[in-house]
Amino acid sequence: MKAWSKIVCAGVIFAHMLTWKTAFAGKKSLTLTGSTTVLPIAQLCAEKFMEQHPDVDISVRGGGSGVGIAALIDGTCDIAMASRPMKTKELKSARSKGINPVATVIARDGIAVIVHPSNPLSEITLVQLRDIYTGKISNWKDVGGKSGRIVVISRDVASGTFEVFKKLVLKGAKTRADALMLASNKAVATTVEKTPGAIGYVGLGYVSSKVKALPVDGVEPTKKTVASGEYKLARPLYFYTDGKPKGLAKEFIDFVLSSEGQKIVEEAGFVPVKSNE
Amino acid sequence: MGKLTKVVLISFVMALCAQYAYAGLAPGKSQFKAYTWFRYTVKAEGNFTELDESYFGLERGYLRWEHAFTDKIKCRVNVDIFSSDKEADPHGAGLKLKYGYVDFKGIIPEGKITVGLQKPYFGTIYDWKYVTIEKSLEDKEKIVSSADYGITLNTDISEGMGEWQLGIYNGEGYKKCKSNVDKYPAFTGNVRFIPIPGLTIGGSLLYEKKEASKRFLMAGVCRVARRPIDCWGELIMTKTGKPEITGFGVMIMPVLKLNPNFELVGRVDYWDENIDKEKDSHYRMIGGFNYYIVKRKKGKPGVMLQVNYERKQYEDPNKEAENEFLMQLRWEFATNPF
Repeated sequence: MKAWSKIVCAGVIFAHMLTWKTAFAGKKSLTLTGSTTVLPIAQLCAEKFMEQHPDVDISVRGGGSGVGIAALIDGTCDIAMASRPMKTKELKSARSKGINPVATVIARDGIAVIVHPSNPLSEITLVQLRDIYTGKISNWKDVGGKSGRIVVISRDVASGTFEVFKKLVLKGAKTRADALMLASNKAVATTVEKTPGAIGYVGLGYVSSKVKALPVDGVEPTKKTVASGEYKLARPLYFYTDGKPKGLAKEFIDFVLSSEGQKIVEEAGFVPVKSNE
Repeated sequence: MGKLTKVVLISFVMALCAQYAYAGLAPGKSQFKAYTWFRYTVKAEGNFTELDESYFGLERGYLRWEHAFTDKIKCRVNVDIFSSDKEADPHGAGLKLKYGYVDFKGIIPEGKITVGLQKPYFGTIYDWKYVTIEKSLEDKEKIVSSADYGITLNTDISEGMGEWQLGIYNGEGYKKCKSNVDKYPAFTGNVRFIPIPGLTIGGSLLYEKKEASKRFLMAGVCRVARRPIDCWGELIMTKTGKPEITGFGVMIMPVLKLNPNFELVGRVDYWDENIDKEKDSHYRMIGGFNYYIVKRKKGKPGVMLQVNYERKQYEDPNKEAENEFLMQLRWEFATNPF
């Protein structure tokens, strides 16, 4: 064998060793990546599931629906968490790479519009929301509040919540250029909580007493109104797998859909898709 | 299609795009991206017993600026940078405008119209990700230019079942493909179907009528992917010039993904520029690996090590085989995605 052939072989082996995972660790592992809206459900369910199955290691990461879907296509996660359905381009990319994305709806959620608790506004309409987020309205007095600049908080483009909000509220229009684009539901909730003139939107599970959730078109964002379909800013939450769930992924999804799992969904502030009777 | 019809058609598309742009204009967002390919190359003829060349080079670098005027109108300008170019100055840096186009989305469902200097939708050239360091077969053999000026219509088939494109180019790509710049545009059609996950089949046509001849190119593409294997195949047939010359080419490129960060790559090309002429064809064989040191994600930086051995073997026994050992560090970074 010539010298360069040896170098190439050594390089191949070395590079492969660098990337070797702990294949002999013994624990069965499962990786979930994606939506920060689905994150609390996945985290709570994973904790409970690992308690019941000590031989299982579940890793849950955020990043947004887009990141989760990209990870599923790339083979770096077992389950992609998404708060929106996959786009045609994502489906095309997945199918061309031999991935067959199958969606399982694990919960329903409402997108709650939140403001600082000191804000006197008691409700908002979809039209007003659109005008605020597209830049037509920039002062609270124009929507019935006290005079003051509206600080617009949005989710970033990797977010499924952003995509759904864009579709349901903005009707495809572009978010105003001065909107603060944040990477997670938690970041939006925290920023609104600390900024008196702010408006933002988060999944139901992120609504707390530190922010005020506004009724939209006269309907309060609650589990009941989301479940009944009365609240317009509602969407399903998904787990995407490559093909029908199998093995550990199936066990985990079955757990999330079980009465115990759906109870956790409810405790996390979301709407179960299966009744807990 | 008559000359007048072509002029009217192009004017209509431009007017439609302009009207659309005016209607939706709003302050937008910009994104900046940079790619760099730093390469170590060793070249030798025959059986690699004596080296002919051994050098470092910045073989390729892109500076890309993208701007979204609105959700439906985006532009991209790409400048190609390299440390040396045999065709230009072998000592200094080179600079080329690689892409410069505007995308208009929403005019047709799931589709866009692209106007400007762009990738041609022919064969594998437009979705070539440089899994091997070498260019795609049609680009390498100068069958089709890697970028050209024109107007294209791009549409995704619903449910991710594939895509199709129609294009008109004026034939003035920044790399000329043995074809002079002239008044005759080239028309392209391309389709890809993904009937089942992991199987992609498709084909492309390019037709350009010349003064007394024509350029007619066909490509058939197939991709079979099921982790850990991803295999590309391509057949190319060309009919050009007067008297007409028929060319034929094949490319097969299997990739074995051993884990998310490491893959083995192989590739075999065959190209015969004139099937009626003897001893003018050649094979190209490539083997190597890709190691993703930092995995590239949308808007996130990435660093990748690529190592390839490439051997070009001629049908003509009097021509010595050419060997190349290429080791390339490829990195990319970008500002936040749109």
